[in-house]
Order: sequence, then C-alpha cells, then structure tokens
Amino acid sequence: MEFVEKRLTERAKRGDREAFAELVDIYKDKIYQLAFRMVGNRQEAEDIAQETFLRVFANLHTYDESYKFSTWIYRIATNLCIDRGRKKKPHFSLDEEADGTEGLDWYSRLSSNEKTPEEKMVTRELQDTVQEALTQLSPKYRSIMILRYIEDLSLQEISDVLKLPITTIKTRIHRGREALRGKLQHM
Amino acid sequence: MECREQHLLIHSFLDGDIDELSNHRLQEHLRDCAECRQYLRELQKTVALVQSLSHVCAPSDFTNRVLAQLPAPSGMNRFSAWLRKHPFVTAAAVFFFLMAGSVSATWIERDQTLQVSSNSLDQLRIDRARNLVVVPEGTTIEGDLVVRNGSVEVQGKVQGNVVAIDGKVFLASTANVAGDAESIEAIFDWIWYELKNIGNNLLPIAP
Repeated sequence: MEFVEKRLTERAKRGDREAFAELVDIYKDKIYQLAFRMVGNRQEAEDIAQETFLRVFANLHTYDESYKFSTWIYRIATNLCIDRGRKKKPHFSLDEEADGTEGLDWYSRLSSNEKTPEEKMVTRELQDTVQEALTQLSPKYRSIMILRYIEDLSLQEISDVLKLPITTIKTRIHRGREALRGKLQHM
Repeated sequence: MECREQHLLIHSFLDGDIDELSNHRLQEHLRDCAECRQYLRELQKTVALVQSLSHVCAPSDFTNRVLAQLPAPSGMNRFSAWLRKHPFVTAAAVFFFLMAGSVSATWIERDQTLQVSSNSLDQLRIDRARNLVVVPEGTTIEGDLVVRNGSVEVQGKVQGNVVAIDGKVFLASTANVAGDAESIEAIFDWIWYELKNIGNNLLPIAP
C-alpha cells in the first residue's frame, strides 16, 4: 500500500492528474469521515474534504516523501477542521444556492443528504448522542479522539500528524476519554 | 493503594501502554475495588460507543468534483502528459529527430573534393579535371564502387553496386554492373539512401 502511494504521489507531483485522482479515491472516505465527525454536518464536511484535496494538490511540491502520505493529508485535514471551528462562519441561509449545484437550494440538498433510510431510529439516536458528546469537546481533544478511535491511528501516528510529543497525545487522550465518559456514562 | 493513581494506570492500560508489573498491581487492585472496576467499565463503554459511530462515506461524485476544481493544467504539463501516455510515438519521434539530424549533418558538412571508395582502387582511372572516375574496359571491380562529388563512367565490369553521390553514373555499352547503379543528387535521395543502408545493415539476410 505504501509503495503504491509513493508511486502515485511521485506521479501526481509531476502533474499527473490520473495519479492524483487515485489518491483522492484512496483517501476521500477517511478525510470526509474525519471532517464529518469534527464538524457534525455533511455539507461542511464535504467542503472541508474538498478543500483538503485541493490543498494537497497545490502543495504537492512541498510534500516530504520521508513521511507517510497519510500523515501529511491527515495533518492538512485536521488543521482545516480546527480553523473552520475557530472562525465559525455565520449560518448558511437555507435559500442560498450551494456552490456548483445550480438550481438546487439547501432544502433539496438537505433532503437528499440527511436521510439514510436504512438507519434504524434507535441507532440514529445513539449516534446523535455520541456525535453530540464529541462536538462538545474542544477541537484539540475532539480531533485526537477521532483520529484514535474512528480513524484508528496509533498514538505514534497521531503524534506525527499533529507534530506533538507522544506524551502530550497520551494526556489528551486520557482527558478526552474522561470527558466523554462524563457525558456518556448514563447510556 | 490510592484510587487516583490507579486511574492513571487504567488509562495506560486502555492505551496498551502498561508494563507487566504495573498491570499486575492494577489487576490486583481491580479485584478489590468495585469503584475502579466501574470506572474501567465506563471508559471501555465510552470507547466502544465512539467506535460504534457508523462509518460515513464521501458522496459518490466526490472525486470528480475535486478534479473539476483543480487549476487548468499548463500547456507544458499537458504536453508531457501526452508524451507519457504514448511512449511508442515518443520513442519513434526521438529516433527520427536524431536520425534526420545526423543524416542531414553529413549531407551539409560534406566537402567538395572527389572521394572514391572501392576494393580495387588501382584498377580505376581517375580524371580529376573532369571529376570523373572511369572503370576502364576489360577491368573487373570487386564489391561496391562509391564516388562522392563526381561522376562515374562504367566501361568494364562491377560486381557490386555503383553509387555516385552528387554526380552521375554513365554506363557504356560494354558496362556490366552486377548490383544497382544509382546517382544521388538531392537531400531526399540522400536520406532515402541512408535509410536503405540502415535497413540493409539491420537485415543482412535480406537481398
């Protein structure tokens, strides 16, 4: 896998768009998921995920191949999520047209995006509660909890992504777990 | 033992980051302390709940939407991408470019003096004043006869090809040429001649 990624990033660096498209295909679900759990909203998650890949493309020449590609792309995505939270934009107007979807306003996008009929009501409620608990964490804890337990990264990988010492990561995971326990223990 | 200290150990335990001695101490404590057992259970449940969040996938046309937003490729990139996609055409183009270069270079850089190449030079009569090489009647030339910057008049016998580059080949009625007699005067003839030579050298079996 890493070898394949290395080849793809080398090709993408030389401007090969097919190779870049393959990288997008490999990482789109991971990045979209990270963004979705960070912001709790599909549209914003998609914006962040797209922005992540556009930044990857624009900065490929600065990518240092001695690091794993996944570390680099997770770093870009995590920073974007945290920045987005910091300057939380005023709420979208529901009548405004969404970018690139001429003629569709937010009402129609919501109805097509938010409903997943196969999800049962109970699981849905449980999921909402857990997501709500995550959202209440401050971003620096939220991002680490998501990287650890949803994206399944090791402590070392998280430390590489965030460029923080592993002891800091451990402390934050302890506190994050502790905070989530406080919110979820009654379930 | 104090429970707060045990809480730290419980977190290390959850991270899989605990040494054997501490683990042993923790397990012993958990056997006696219901409160810490409860604490561990709650943390484990918390982790399980977070992990149980269903996996969401990017929308199906996500990749295309990203690609549509990329800046337009520069001309240079498009050209090199095209070359990469057609390696055979690229190789052929490079080959012909170099070929044409070397062939036309030898054509352009030739000098004006009369040059003769043959296996039996001593049998030829060379007329420098008229830039003419004569194969006299009654003589036999082994192999090819190639003359540059002059003409050839064949009265005798040649057992190979007769080629005059930038000159003409005259065949007398007594002439006997086993191979081809040709005269090369224009650059296209020259290129064709060079290509034929390459072909003949590559395929020595062919006649």
